[in-house]
Amino acid sequence: MTEKIRFWILLALLLASVGLLLWANSLASNVILH
Amino acid sequence: MYYKEVKLSRINTALLIAIILVNGYIILLPFASNVLFWFQKNHTSRTQQLTETIRSQPGPTSAPPAENRLIIPVMLFDEAVNEGKDMSTLRKGLWHLPYTSTPDKGGNTVFVGHRFTYTNPHGVLYYLDKVHVGDEIGLTWNGKKYLYKVSNVVQVKPNDLAVEAQTADPEITIYTCTPLWLPKDRLVVVAKPETEIK
Repeated sequence: MTEKIRFWILLALLLASVGLLLWANSLASNVILH
Repeated sequence: MYYKEVKLSRINTALLIAIILVNGYIILLPFASNVLFWFQKNHTSRTQQLTETIRSQPGPTSAPPAENRLIIPVMLFDEAVNEGKDMSTLRKGLWHLPYTSTPDKGGNTVFVGHRFTYTNPHGVLYYLDKVHVGDEIGLTWNGKKYLYKVSNVVQVKPNDLAVEAQTADPEITIYTCTPLWLPKDRLVVVAKPETEIK
């Protein structure tokens, strides 16, 4: 695997992790029953 | 060409470290407060102190506090109740839902608070999962002390508004998010009056 392919995979994983963090946080912020 | 590969390799190492840090934060942070709870529960007499507080009769030396407070000894909880019209009140801590009853009127009095968010890892109701049926809850409302016993602990969907519905008999309902990681449900604790102390 070239470094370039590895770079794009790692970048995608990092963005996915940050997205997961923001999503979980937004779910918890909306505590009131609706 | 060789230098470009070396540079990319360093960037990839930095990305890998960033991924490990972000995911470590996601996985470990929800449980960080449990360490604090374990210490307070096992190395202090806080539970006993709070239990004595909610059972004590008001007198010359133990007048009830002027502010409204909710005390749950089993989860080392002693917090002021905040009144407010909208969700921003949750930032202050425990919120008494304004469209529900109050202890002096009977019916269903509902309190809500955050449990865990990544921006506020130690929410006011973080330890609500430590509460079980039979545990005692104390409430001071307008200078009067009330003692409740937990009658039900359930998990409901976030659209289950029945939890906030009025009831014929007096009770208090406390709810927050659950589970910690992916808070897709609500953890609800219902308590009924044991006695009205005064």
